[in-house]
Order: sequence, then structure tokens, then C-alpha cells
Amino acid sequence: MIRSVAFMFVISSALAACGGPETSQANNVQANLSNTASPAATAPPSTVTADAFSEISGEQAKSVMHERHEGMEAIGKANKSIKRELEGSAPDLVTVRTAATKIADLSQKASGWFHAGTGPDVGKTGAKPEIWRNTQDFAAKLAAFQKATAAFNSTASGSDVNAIKASFGELGQACKACHDKYRSEMHH
Amino acid sequence: MQSLSRQVPVGDASLSTAQSLKQLVWDLPTRIIHWLLASLILFSWWSVKNHHTDWHIWSGIAILTALIFRAFWGLFGSSTARFANFVRGPRGIRNYFRGQWKGIGHTPVGALSVIALLAAIAIQVGLGLVSQDEDGIYMGPLARLISSDASDTARDIHELWFNVVLFLIILHIAAIAYYRVSGRPLTKTMITGQGAVEPGIEPMRPGKWWVALLCLITAFALSRWVVAGAPPFGP
Repeated sequence: MIRSVAFMFVISSALAACGGPETSQANNVQANLSNTASPAATAPPSTVTADAFSEISGEQAKSVMHERHEGMEAIGKANKSIKRELEGSAPDLVTVRTAATKIADLSQKASGWFHAGTGPDVGKTGAKPEIWRNTQDFAAKLAAFQKATAAFNSTASGSDVNAIKASFGELGQACKACHDKYRSEMHH
Repeated sequence: MQSLSRQVPVGDASLSTAQSLKQLVWDLPTRIIHWLLASLILFSWWSVKNHHTDWHIWSGIAILTALIFRAFWGLFGSSTARFANFVRGPRGIRNYFRGQWKGIGHTPVGALSVIALLAAIAIQVGLGLVSQDEDGIYMGPLARLISSDASDTARDIHELWFNVVLFLIILHIAAIAYYRVSGRPLTKTMITGQGAVEPGIEPMRPGKWWVALLCLITAFALSRWVVAGAPPFGP
């Protein structure tokens, strides 16, 4: 009897291993760079450019950090509204589509949210200094995120709930890939 | 009566201690639940700190199952596992401090610690069940029963409440360390179940195996219901 206690707990923890698949790295994603004046002529055209990490300071830095915080919070809020619909038996796809479009738009703006000089040494932020030590990796993950939001937005415009759920799972993994590595617990 | 020769204890050694016997004071289900809770709480902490939120949620559900089992075992289990036998009022606690308590199982003060720990863990699990993560990737199975904002608040409290659980765990371990220094190895008793029982003290009345099985089935059934999203499987 007691064996079975332990055994069933093992089963219940084994059930835990049902995470989504890791998203593949995105490539060839056009990233719109706002917030910077200098033209990025030398940067490769098909990814988040090096210019995304150009140094800013003062009020401009504060403004970017504020926009980043608000933007990330808005993405989180939109994501939660989707999650709540998709967990239900009859998801309201209008809510899902509105939120999906919002996330896709905001994700493009995110290209301008990570200039050098917007780290934790400047103000309260969850952005880790590692971002600016691994800009190539970070840019790849940001591009993967943008690709995932676009893919999800496109899938959500259809009515295949299972496909929408799968695509949403991949988007979540893209969010997580960056957050696990580059976000500290010093946010909110 | 007066003519009968009487043995007199020498020094600190009381007669009763000298004659005390090793007997089962904690049954197997109680010991398993204890160590399972300890391991699962450690795992819950580790998994969430290392971004394994999905494991963290399943660990919480396993804790829920263990708590439900313990609650039923506390009603229908062995004598030392029953709440009615070890939870005592203020007078029982006062008598304990005057050295007037004798028995096996939880002392009246130890009982307070047990109840506080179980309650704090239950509250922590309850908060987790209705929480959602800040990115909208994970939700506790009951999160949809409350609003999105309320789930965010639940998560914030869940994070803070861990400190209460941690405080009680530290207190619990400190008390065990104190007993160890005083020569009473409580940890070993919780592993083997065997403790010293003085003569004249009623031994543990063991629970029935089929009662344990029924408690276990009930615990799994209720947990399964929670995982499904409760009421009629959702809000």
C-alpha cells in the first residue's frame, strides 16, 4: 500500500513533463529600429541590427526604460487574456485576435527597447547587464520572439483552435527563452 | 504496603526511562507524508528559482495530494496521527510547560508547530492554485475561477507567503536541533518510527491499511478534480 503511495506520487510528478517544444531560432526577421537617429548602414539587414544596442543616456534612456516596462507589461497582460481564453472550453477568438495583433505590434517596437545605457546601473529594471555582453545571442532571441508573435498573429486570424494553441505555446517558449536568461527578479 | 522494598532512582536516571521500550510511535503513512512534504517543498523552491514553472505547478499539486491525505489520516489514521489526539487547548500547553505532560507523539507545543506548518503550506498551495505567472505562460489549475488581476495579486502574496512557510520550517528545524542537543534524536524517530515509550503510557493504536488506501484514493480524486479546474471542470 505504502509503495503505491510513493509510486503514484512519482506518476504525478512524471505528468509534469509536458512542457511545450523549444522554439527554433528565428532568422531573417526584419526589425524596425525606432528611437535611434543614426543610420545603420553597416548592420546586416535581416536581423535585429547592432544599432539596436547603440548607447543612449539621460532623459532618452529613462524614456526607453519606461516604454520598455510599459510595453512588456502590456504584452504580459495581452498574453494572459489569450491564455485565459485558450484554457477554456469555448475560447473567444475575437479577444485572442485583438491581443495577438497587439503583441505582434509591440514586439516590433521591442527592437528599440534595449539600447546600451538602459541597464540596472541606470535605474530599476529587470533587464540584466548580460544583454549588452551577449548582444548577438540577445538579438537572435529577440528576432525569434518577433517571428513567433507574427506567426501567432497569423494563426490566430484563422479559426483552428488547436493550431492557435500550438502557436501560442511556441510564442510562450520564445518569451521564456529570453526571460530565463536575460531578466532578473528585480522587475515589477 | 510500607514493608515492600522500593527501588529508588539513582542520580538523573529515572526508573521509567531505564525501563522504556522502543515502540512504533509514527506509522509509515505519517512518516512518508512528512518526508514527501519536505522534499516537495524543497523541489518547489528549486524549480521555480530555476525557471521550471511547469514542474513547480505539478509539485504544488503533489503537495496538495499529500495534504489532503494527511488531513484524512488525521481523522481516521493511527492514534498519534489524529488531530483530536494531539491538538490541545491552552490548559494542556500550560501543563506541558509545568512538566505535567506525558505521552507519545506530538507534545502540546509541537502540535502547534504541526498545525501551523500544515496550515501555512495549505495556504501556500491554495494561493498557487489560483495564481498565474506574470508573462501569461502558466496558470494554476484554478486561476480561471478568479480574475486576471486577482491571479496576479495571488501570485504576489504566494511569493510573500513563502517567507512565512520558511520561517516555520526554520523554527521546526531549530526545535529539532535543540532536542538533539538535549539527547533526543527526533529525526531518527521520524525515519524509523521507533521511539521510547515509558511504561504506563498507552502505545500507538495503528490505523488500518485499508483506511490509508481510502484516504489515498480520496486525496487523488480531489486533486484530480482540482487539476481539471474544479466546479464542473472550470469556472
